[in-house]
Amino acid sequence: MNTLEVRNLTKRFKLSKKQQRLEKTDATVKVACNDVSFTAYPGEIFGLLGPNGAGKTTCLRTISTLIKPDEGDVIVGGSSVVTADEEVRGKIGFLTSELKLEDHFTPNYLFRYFSRLHGIAEDAIEDRKMELFKRFGIDEFMEVKVGELSSGMKQKTSIAISLVHDPDFIIFDEPTNGLDVLTARSVTDYLIELKNQGKTVILSTHILSVVEKLCDRVGIIINGKMKRCDTLANVRKEQQSADLEELFFQLVEEENLLGGDLA
Amino acid sequence: MNNILTVFKKEFYRVMSDKRLIFTAIFLPGLAIYLMYSFMGNAIGNQVDEVESHTIILYTENMPDTLRDQIVGDDQRDVEFHDFDDMPYDDIKAGILEGDIDVLIRFPENFETTISQYDQPGYVVPEVMTSYNPGERYSNSAYYYLLSHLNAYGFDISYDRLGEDMFAFHTDLTNPDHIIMDEQRASGQSFAMLLPMLIVMFLFSGAMTIGPDSIAGEKERGTIATLLVTPIKRGELAVGKVMSLSIIALMSATSSFIGIFLSLPMLMQGEELDANIYGVGEYLSIFGVLLATVLVIVGLVSAISAYAKSIKEASMMILPLYFLSVIVGVSSMFSGEAATNPLMYLVPIYSSVNMLIGIMTFEIVPLHFLLMVISSVVYVAILIFIINKLFQSEKVMFSK
Repeated sequence: MNTLEVRNLTKRFKLSKKQQRLEKTDATVKVACNDVSFTAYPGEIFGLLGPNGAGKTTCLRTISTLIKPDEGDVIVGGSSVVTADEEVRGKIGFLTSELKLEDHFTPNYLFRYFSRLHGIAEDAIEDRKMELFKRFGIDEFMEVKVGELSSGMKQKTSIAISLVHDPDFIIFDEPTNGLDVLTARSVTDYLIELKNQGKTVILSTHILSVVEKLCDRVGIIINGKMKRCDTLANVRKEQQSADLEELFFQLVEEENLLGGDLA
Repeated sequence: MNNILTVFKKEFYRVMSDKRLIFTAIFLPGLAIYLMYSFMGNAIGNQVDEVESHTIILYTENMPDTLRDQIVGDDQRDVEFHDFDDMPYDDIKAGILEGDIDVLIRFPENFETTISQYDQPGYVVPEVMTSYNPGERYSNSAYYYLLSHLNAYGFDISYDRLGEDMFAFHTDLTNPDHIIMDEQRASGQSFAMLLPMLIVMFLFSGAMTIGPDSIAGEKERGTIATLLVTPIKRGELAVGKVMSLSIIALMSATSSFIGIFLSLPMLMQGEELDANIYGVGEYLSIFGVLLATVLVIVGLVSAISAYAKSIKEASMMILPLYFLSVIVGVSSMFSGEAATNPLMYLVPIYSSVNMLIGIMTFEIVPLHFLLMVISSVVYVAILIFIINKLFQSEKVMFSK
């Protein structure tokens, strides 16, 4: 049951006048996710790709229960985001660059705080904390306030905190954004470790080298629609392109010729 | 319940572990009030002392010796006498205008001889002319001091002429029960005039110092989303935050309260004020009102902060409510008595102000107290429900 199924997910947003001007459209509604479906399995990293504004983050936010779908559902390990959102939150570890930690607290304090919110027993918190902090090299800085940490160390702390409860489903939105090469490497290495532990990992990124290195299967979203969903090898074969970047551009152009999805 | 406590502890720790925040949110209000009111009280007292110790510059013309001796004999004020003929009249007027001369008193020539012939045919009542500057505090004070002497002098003349016949009746000459006053209640009314308004103001400002940062600030900084992806119920998050903010706002209000009590006797120097007039019962009742009020205020501030996109927006939206509560508080300064209609104790903030007046004037009505506490609890429950809904609204939580 450790699969994550996105079933015909549709999410629309009303556009304000300001947003209409920015989007250069008269449409009052934007379909951020349009009937998107895919399944991620245990022991694999599923890559969610797409240009900026394609609907990746909306899709991930729906999976993480931060927003509710207008149509469709997401089933996470047997729990629906529509009917059992609290259950889903207990099963997932969600990280996005938009999720921030409070500068005033130390990694140690925040780890314990989020562990308690996840209902982890007091005696288990310390072991889990040291395991993750040592893995990411945070242990030396765990009593330093988050506001005084480097951006790389902040991101590592965020990752550790998103995984306090050892979730079976890990959803990371652009986890290596803005990180230096070494920090980014330690994050991608850890994602492979999680995959090898049998976790279901969904990764959204626009860094194609990361996709090639990590992802077993990919879903390519453009203008809110799932254009391709398969192994990287099969997508390449279908598009007759060995170069992932070229393949990506082909799909964007193909979609642009068909027109967008502003209603 | 565990999650509520976890959120509560974290929010509480956020303030308590920040020395600057502890100082500004908790100690500073009380300290500032104490210093401000003490300074104001001393300044007012010094001003009165200064005026009273000022030597009155008095110009006189034909002043009878009897009156002069009376003034000189009164050691309440020092008076420097000058003769009207020492200076031209226009210069004396200019001196009064400039504040160099305080008062001019002019009697007609042969004044005492004239008044002694009061029973002669064709007698015309003589006129005494005085000049002073009401816009100048030394002159104003000197005038009323000298007027009292002038009146006493006039009274003596009338008494000499008419004896007891000058009185149509006496008022309270021998009545020992002229003033019947409950001194405790009188002091209580002085407290009741100022404190309810100040307490509501300080409860609000305490909540405003930390509330917007704790909720709207979390939205602005993006840290609220980190919380919302944990299994915690939105309602638990709301209750935990409101609880901790209430305790901190209550600490801030208590500090202000202590500051007010210590400095009020200094501010109202003329009146005998002593906070010892209140017993444990009154203090516990005041604390009960503070607790119920702070919950409503923090609930309001939290609901607005949850709705606002940023700290700035939250502060702007809270401000009209703050002014409204100040107006409600000010109304207590003029009424002086608690409302008698029980329905008034269902109106938030207004009920608190009236309950405080009731307690401070030793007129606690248990029904009113009960209505105020129960209605406050109901309002807080409604506000927490609203905050819960706002935390669930993706439009409110994630709109930019």
